[in-house]
Order: sequence, then C-alpha cells, then structure tokens
Amino acid sequence: MDFLLQPLNLVIFFPLLGVLALLFLKERESLARWVSLITALITFGISLWVLGLFDAANPDLQLTVVRDWIQVAGWNIRYAVGVDGLSILLVLLTTFLTPIAILSTWRAVEDRVRDFQLFFLLLEVGMLGVFLAQELFLFYIFWEFTLVPMYFLIGIWGGPKRMYAAIKFFLYTMAGSILMLLAILWLGINQGSFYLPDLIAIGGIPADIQYWLFIAFAAAFAIKVPMWPLHSWLPDAHVQAPTAGSVILAGVLLKMGTYGFLRFNLQLFPQTSVQLAPVMGVLAVIGIIYGAIVSYPQSDVKKLVAYSSISHLGFVVLGLFALNQQGISGAILQMVNHGISTGALFLIVGFIYERRHTREMDEFGGLWKVMPVYAVLTLIVALSSMGLPGLNGFVGEFTILLGAWGGGVANGPYGSYLFAGLAAVGVILAAVYMLFMFQKLFLGPVTNKKNEGLKDLSARELAILIPLLVLIFWIGLYPQPFFALIGPAVAKLTASFSGIAYLPIP
Amino acid sequence: MTPIQLVFLFVAFATLWAAFMVVTRNNLVHAALFLVIALFGVAVLFVMLEAGFLAVIQVLVYIGAIAILMIFAVMLTRGDVDDIPDITNRYAGWVGLVAVLFFSSLVILMAQWPSFTALAKPILSSRDTIVELGTALVSPNGYVIPFEVASVMLLAALIGALVVARPRKGK
Amino acid sequence: MFGSITTDMVLAILPEIALLVLIAVVFVTDLVVDEKRRGILAWTSIIGLLITMLLTAFFAQPGAEAETLWGGMLRHDWLAYVSKLIFLFGALITTVFTLNWDSVRFKGEFYVLLLTSTLGMTLMGASADLIMLFLSIETTSIPLYVLAGFLTDDDRSTEAGFKYLLFGAMTTAVMLYGFSLLYGFAGSTGLYEISAAIGAGQIPAAALAGAAVLVLVGFGFKVAMAPLHFWAPDVYEGAPTPITAFLSTASKAAGFVVLTRVMIAAFSSVQAEWQLMLAIAAVISMTLGNLVALSQTNIKRLLAYSSIAHAGYALLGVIAASELGAASVVYYFLVYVVTNMAAFGVVIVVSRVIGSDEIADYAGLSRRSPGLALVMLLAFLSLAGIPPLGGFIAKVLVFAAAVQAEFVWLAVIGVLNAIIGLYYYLIVLKVVYLTPGKDEQKALPTPRPQAVALVVSIVLLLLMGTVFAPWYQWALNSASALF
Repeated sequence: MDFLLQPLNLVIFFPLLGVLALLFLKERESLARWVSLITALITFGISLWVLGLFDAANPDLQLTVVRDWIQVAGWNIRYAVGVDGLSILLVLLTTFLTPIAILSTWRAVEDRVRDFQLFFLLLEVGMLGVFLAQELFLFYIFWEFTLVPMYFLIGIWGGPKRMYAAIKFFLYTMAGSILMLLAILWLGINQGSFYLPDLIAIGGIPADIQYWLFIAFAAAFAIKVPMWPLHSWLPDAHVQAPTAGSVILAGVLLKMGTYGFLRFNLQLFPQTSVQLAPVMGVLAVIGIIYGAIVSYPQSDVKKLVAYSSISHLGFVVLGLFALNQQGISGAILQMVNHGISTGALFLIVGFIYERRHTREMDEFGGLWKVMPVYAVLTLIVALSSMGLPGLNGFVGEFTILLGAWGGGVANGPYGSYLFAGLAAVGVILAAVYMLFMFQKLFLGPVTNKKNEGLKDLSARELAILIPLLVLIFWIGLYPQPFFALIGPAVAKLTASFSGIAYLPIP
Repeated sequence: MTPIQLVFLFVAFATLWAAFMVVTRNNLVHAALFLVIALFGVAVLFVMLEAGFLAVIQVLVYIGAIAILMIFAVMLTRGDVDDIPDITNRYAGWVGLVAVLFFSSLVILMAQWPSFTALAKPILSSRDTIVELGTALVSPNGYVIPFEVASVMLLAALIGALVVARPRKGK
Repeated sequence: MFGSITTDMVLAILPEIALLVLIAVVFVTDLVVDEKRRGILAWTSIIGLLITMLLTAFFAQPGAEAETLWGGMLRHDWLAYVSKLIFLFGALITTVFTLNWDSVRFKGEFYVLLLTSTLGMTLMGASADLIMLFLSIETTSIPLYVLAGFLTDDDRSTEAGFKYLLFGAMTTAVMLYGFSLLYGFAGSTGLYEISAAIGAGQIPAAALAGAAVLVLVGFGFKVAMAPLHFWAPDVYEGAPTPITAFLSTASKAAGFVVLTRVMIAAFSSVQAEWQLMLAIAAVISMTLGNLVALSQTNIKRLLAYSSIAHAGYALLGVIAASELGAASVVYYFLVYVVTNMAAFGVVIVVSRVIGSDEIADYAGLSRRSPGLALVMLLAFLSLAGIPPLGGFIAKVLVFAAAVQAEFVWLAVIGVLNAIIGLYYYLIVLKVVYLTPGKDEQKALPTPRPQAVALVVSIVLLLLMGTVFAPWYQWALNSASALF
C-alpha cells in the first residue's frame, strides 16, 4: 500500500482505478463518460500535487521510487520511477490533455462508449509510465504498452480506412522499438544494470558500440516523433483516428519520441550525440521544411494539421541536438507548446467535423459570419501554431532558433547558422499554410448553403478550448515559471557535453 | 583376410541385396519373401557376433511370426496378388542419389575414427549372456523402466490399431 | 542380485506411476460404464490429471543435486520436474477442451491414448539414456499418430494422422540411426557417459557432427522446426483441434526439452558445429513460418505456421548453449504452452458454435463474446511479445541469451521476424475486434469448464509477464541441472 501511495505511482496507476470501475459498469454509457472524466481530472489533480512537491532548483531525479523487481541470475531489473526538470512538464501535459480529450468525446463517440473510455485511461497509464520510468526495462514495457490502446482507439472508432491506419501505426512503431529492445538488452547484460542513473554513472561504453546503440534507440524514437523520412504512418494515423485520439497522438504520443531522445540518447550516449548532432540536425531541418511544404496543398484540414506536426517536431529535434541550454530548454517547452496548439487544432477540426461530417476545405468558406466565436478562437490557435510573438509557439521556436544559432558543440562541419536559417524558413512557411487554411475556412462569403445554419460553439466545447487558450497566452506572455522548472536539469545535462570534442563520423 | 571376414562380407551383401529387392519388387508376395531372406541374414550376423540367443529370437519372432504374418496379411486382404505396375514416383532418382551421398559421406566420416577399423575384443565365454540379459531387463539398476515402458507403448499401439481399423458406424 | 528400489527412485517416477494408474482407471471405467454415461471418462481424466499434477508438484520435486536413477535411465532433476508439470498442464487443459467435443468425449480409447502420450512426454523430459529416450519418444508419438487421425469419418483428420505417421516414422528411423552411431562411438547409451567419452576425445569431430545431424532430424521433427516442418500445417489443420493444441504445445515442448538436454549434455565438444546448424534452422524456421503465416486464411494453419516460427525463436535459447539460454528455453515453453492453449481454447469453443476455422468467420466475435475476444487478444499479443504478457518476457530472455552468447545477428533476425509475426496476429485481432460480422447479435456462450480453463491460462499468462521471479527461478533451476 505504501508503494502505491508514493506520489508518482499514484499518478501512473490512478487511472487504473477508473478502468476497474468501468469494467464493472455494464452498458451505462453516460456514466462511463463521467467515470472516465472524473478519473482523468483526479489524476490531473494528483499531478498538480506532484508539481507542488517538486523542487525546481534541484536538477536531479526527485520523488523517486526504486524497488527490486527481477533480481535473479545476473538480471538486475528494478522498478524505478522518478521525475526531474526534463519530464515534469510532459507529465503535466499528459494529465492536462487527457481530461480535455475525454470531454471532447461526449458527442463524437456513440459506439461502445465504455470500451473507448477504458482504452483511453489505459493509454494514459502507459504515457505517464513512459515519462516517469527511469529504468530501461520498465520504460520499454510502458512504451510498448501504449501501442495496444492506441491501436484499438484508431481501429474501432476511426475513419473509413481505420484498419489500415491502425495496423500501419502499430507495425511502424513496433519495428523501431524492438531494435531498441535489443540495445536495452545489450546495455543490461554488459553494463549490469537497467537503471538509468546507474548506467549514466557507469558509462564507458566503447565508442563504436555506442554508435550502434545510439542508432537502435534513435530508430525507435525517430519513428515515434516522427522524423523525416520515417513519417509516413503519421498522416494515416491522424486522419483516421477519432478526434480525441488525434489530440492525444499529437499532443502526447509524439512527444514520447522526442522525450526518448532527450532522456536516453543524450544522457546515455553523450559522445555519439555530439558526433551525430549534425546528422540529426540535417534530418530535423529537412523535416521542418518538408512538413511545411507538404502541409500547404492538403485539402483535408486534419491532414494539414498532421503534416504540420512533422514540421513542428523537426524544431524540437533541432533544439535537442543543438546540445546547449537554450536549444534543449526551448525544445522541451516547444513539446508542451505543440501539445497545446496542435491538440487545440485537432479539437477545432473535430468540432467542425461533428457538424458537417467533412473536413474538405472546399466545402467551407465564410464561416466567420456563421460562427464568430469559433473563428476567433481558431485564429488564436493558428497564430500560436505559426509562432506569433506573444503566443506560446513563438517562445519555444525562438528559443530553439537561438540555441541552434549558438550551436555549441554541435557546430561540426555544417555550421549552425545554416540550420537556424533554414529552420527560420520553416517558420515563414508555417505562416503561409496556416493563414491559407484560415482564409479558406473562414473568410469570404458563405459559399456552401449547408454551412449557413451551423451553430456556434456550445458551452462544453468552450470549456474544452478555454483551458488551452489560457495556456497559450500564459506561456506566450510569461514563460519564466516554465523555464524555471526546466532550467536546472537542462544545465546539468548540457554540462555533460562540455568535455567532448567534435569528431567526424567514422 | 580371415575366413570369418569372408563369411561376414558374403552375409552382409546378401542381406543388403535382399533388402534392396524388398523395396524394388512389383509383387508384394515376392517382396515379403525377400524380407525373410534379409531378416535371416541379420540372424546370421547375430550368430557371428556370438549373440546366439538374439539370433534365435530373430528367427523365431521376425521370420517365424512377423514375416509369415505379413505374407498371410497380403494374401488375405488383397483380392489379387498381381503385380503393382509402378512403385516409384518421379522423385525416386533424387532420393536414391541423396541416399548414396548420405551413405558415402557417413562412411568417409566414420573412416576417420580409429576404432572403426579396429577389431573388437571377443566376449569372455565364461559369462552367461542370457542370464545377464534376463537380469538386466528386470533389474531396477538395469532396463526395467524401458522394459515396462515398452509394454505400455505396445498396449497403446494395440489400442491405436483397433481405433484405426474398427469398422465405422453406419457404413 | 537385482539391486533395491529406494524412495528417491519411486518419487522420481511418481508422475508416471500416477498416470499409469489413471490410464488403467479410465480403461476399466470405459469397460464397465454403459454407453450413455461415458461422459464421466473425461472428468475422470481431468481429476486424475489434477491429482497427478499435485502429487508431482509436491512430492516429486528434486533436490538441489541432480540424480541419475534407475540404472542411468532417468534423470531426477529440475528440468525433468518443470517439464513434467508443463506436459501435465497441457494434457489437463487439452482434456478440458474435449468436454464438448461429442465425437471423442464418449470414447475411452481417446483418453487412454492421450494419457499414454503424456506418459511418454514425462519420460522424455527425464530420459538420460538413448534407449529410454527412444522408447519415450515412441510412446509419445504412436498415440499421437492415432489421435491426429482419430476422426476416422473425416478425410482431413485421416490424412493428418497418416501424414504424421509417415513423417514421424521416417525421421524417427533417421534419429535411431544417429543413436546407434553414438552408441558405437561411445560404447554406452547413457547420455552422460557419452558426454564423458566424447570429452575424452577419441571421436573425430566431423563424425560426431554427422551423428548430430541424424539425431537433429528426429528432434527437429518433434519440435516442427524448418526444414522438418512440412507435416505441421496439414496435421494441425486436420487433427481434432484439442489434439492440435496438444501437438503444438506439450509435444513441441517435450521435443525442446530433449533437444536442449541432448545437445548440451552429449554434444558439447562439437558445440560450434551444431550451433551453426541450429542457427540456420532457426533462421529458416522464423522467417518461413512468419512469412507463410501471413497468407493463411484458416486459423489452425495460421497457428501452425506461427508455431514453426516460435520453434525458431526458442531455438535461439538452445543455440546460446548457456545457462541463460537453457533457462530461456524453459521459460519460453512455460509461457508458450499456456499462451497457445488459450489461443486454441478460443478456437475450439468458437468452432464448435460456428462450425468453421476460417479467420473471416471470426468477424464480430468481440460483440458476440467479449470474454472470448479478450482471451484471444491477450493470447495473441503474448504470442506477438507485447508487454506486460508472458510472451514478452519469454522473447526478451531468448534474445538476451543470444546477445549474451554473441549471436547478435541471430537476435536481430529474430527481432525483425517478431515484427512480421506481429502483423498477422494483428490481422486476426483486426477481424475479431474491428470487422463487423454477420451474426453480431447472437451471443456465443462459453461452457463453464472451458471458461475456467481459459481464465486460468490468462491469469498465468499475466503472472508470467509481471511477477517474473518464481517462474524464472524454476527455469533457472532447470537450466543449472544441465551444466
């Protein structure tokens, strides 16, 4: 009991209580929604309590729970969770977005409601576990565990091509992660521990093996992010997923990839990280520009938002592999920003889809006149997503660009100015496709008669969006509290790169 | 070459020849009769290995019972004992080749083993092999478990044979 | 002059004695009970097997030191103990699944054969002598040939039985030839004496490797590894489904126990050679099993090919030839038997109702019977190696063993195969959960005993994936008995 009452364990496993309650509910669908929503809200409350206990000035892991788990015959597998500046915001993001996503299903999910909520809460357990696990084996279990509920969320409640999308999603992710499993096994067997702080302290992995291990981990994370050229599962999954699924997919699941880079690649393999930083930078920049260019011609709004994610997450990866204070802090903040902005965009797309059952831009136009509140909110979110100063996206992207410009150890033969410059092109392109989309949907006369009688946002829909908007403004105008949470841990991380000279790739 | 080796070679080739005939005859009765020769050859080999008891068993059980039973079974169950026109299929040549290759490679491998060409020591005539065999079959520190298991297996085989051969209901 | 029988010796064969008594009881019951009340035969077997399992678990547990008893015929060690429990569990669940199978459940001979086969397996797990080994393999196989062809009115079942018999007889003959060579080389039939003789270094490695090939043919047939897998799909498809379940779990596990014991105990001096042979077999098994499984439309054939692939994964543990490797094989089969029993259990229950084994007919199962669908989900995810199910830990262990033994390339191939495997498991789950079916409104009831068996399997499956230590301790004890 004592074990389960540890704050972090409580956060991770509390949604399971909701799952249990749901299992005993027979077909009472409205009740299932409430049970799930209340569970998610309480989980959010617990995560706020964790935030209260969290000491921002301490760069190390906090509130750790470490228990022996599998201790036989040379296997040293432990149950270890902990939180630090690198993960605290992502935990909060997860617990924050989950109730919002659940609230958005009130009208959208009518079929097998209980099962839907059940999978959703299971997914939350998996995601929180990923962000809090500090032990490679445990991390892998949670990592894989997230696949199953997401598979069903897409596969049962998704769009017309849902089965294809669900299986593609599962296979792509599994393909990457199982390579990571091999690397984890190598580390566990040869280094004698799966516990992350131990592994960091032991170090001493030969450079050539570090290189392969880095690639094995990176394969898993790059698919999840997804980085160009491993992105092709993402548009399918997003377009087919139900709205709440898309929100969580974009808002949290993709962050698992970037978080993985941050937590494992950078910490476990500093040498190789420095060495391969230019390569990761190039891929990131290609992703930024590719995502933006492909977004532009999309006629399906959801697909546009999906491709824009590739672009935004390119920024995050670029920031991470700048390997300096600004870059990494910006990247972490941008993970949160993307979760909020893109989550909000998917919700917005979901609202219009519930009304018209189409997402084709040509079907719309002039919605400003019909749904003014909706239009204004959309404009704010779109501006946030494209990085307008004063809103959250700007803070993150600007910090990342600063980091990339400074480049630190990642200078290498490619030159960090080039990275920053090309990435800035991505910001401009983002403004182009976002404004283009906004114009097509909202401006001009109402061309399609079906749009004339559309109702503006309901109270429930406003309740879903407003918390997100508050955060958009808060981070945009006063990001200091957020940076304060991240700063010390990032400083500790970047210190580990200081002694490493750049070496060309063998 | 000692006379006993000459006898061995003759018997061994006769046995192999008979065995080869068993599988190549078109007429089942002929095949069964060749089987008798092959089994008899094995009995002679037992004699040459100074295993007289086994030789007797071989003749009594395999020739006296099994081979005769087979001939009866062939003659009773088949309305006609005519030749079967074609007993090979299109893989016969390949199978033969594989068998020859397999055998020769085994011979080559075995030839490297020093004991392969060494002469075995004769069994001391003072030992009563039949008593020892009998004791070994029922001794807890001998072969009592395999002996019992063999009986269970044969029982199961008997039941199995009945299950397969029993006439179907309604047919 | 005969020597005496000690308590240890009796305890070592306690499961076999209990099974033999049970066989006799079933046999006599079949004779005295009139035809309408023969339903008690299955229940007699179930209760008898339960008692046998309990007796085995509590009284036949070996000490820390492995003993060779009964004149060197049998080994009383942890590997034998754990494997006997696995086989008994497999037989028990198989028997439960025959309960609603009217064409077999009134026939005493069915249960007698099943139990005899189980008896053979328990002896396979303990055999320490070539003669004993051969007899126990035959005691296992001969009843299985008949059981596979038990439905004599069904042409596919007859074909399955006959095919199994022909393949079995041929490979057993080859294996016996290998045994005779080994005896010739070493002058003894005891595995451990053979090991000592080989260790003394009289026999050229090449000749020994030749003998190893012959022996591997026989074992490879039993475990259905490539290239000796051809019988598996047809036999699995044609045989009565409970027998298919038994073949793919207990029989395969028995083959693996023998394979591991013989390879590690007797052939340690030509380890590099047989490792290479088995590595090739493992790669072919995994790749071929998974690729062919992709295109199957019949669930039993799909599971047959998947079981070929799983033989390939488990081979990685044998190839590692280390303590971790052997432990991983034992763990793999602890999990695999339970998982596959659950999967086949669903197939049996469903096919009794819908009368088909086509995957397409499973559409809408999740609405007709959420419970069965959930069992199928968990069993298939475990087969695919998704945490937190037993199959995940099992795969981790065999891959870890391969990595530790510096067969990283094999582990990589295994991992790539796991992804292919995942695909067809997902396809089946897709049909079960996502595809709408014709008779969605009709409930599909699960009879109580079968439901209990499925629940037990699933609980074990979850336990093996989460509470890892006790099972692994078993596996580890078994492995250390070999080294």
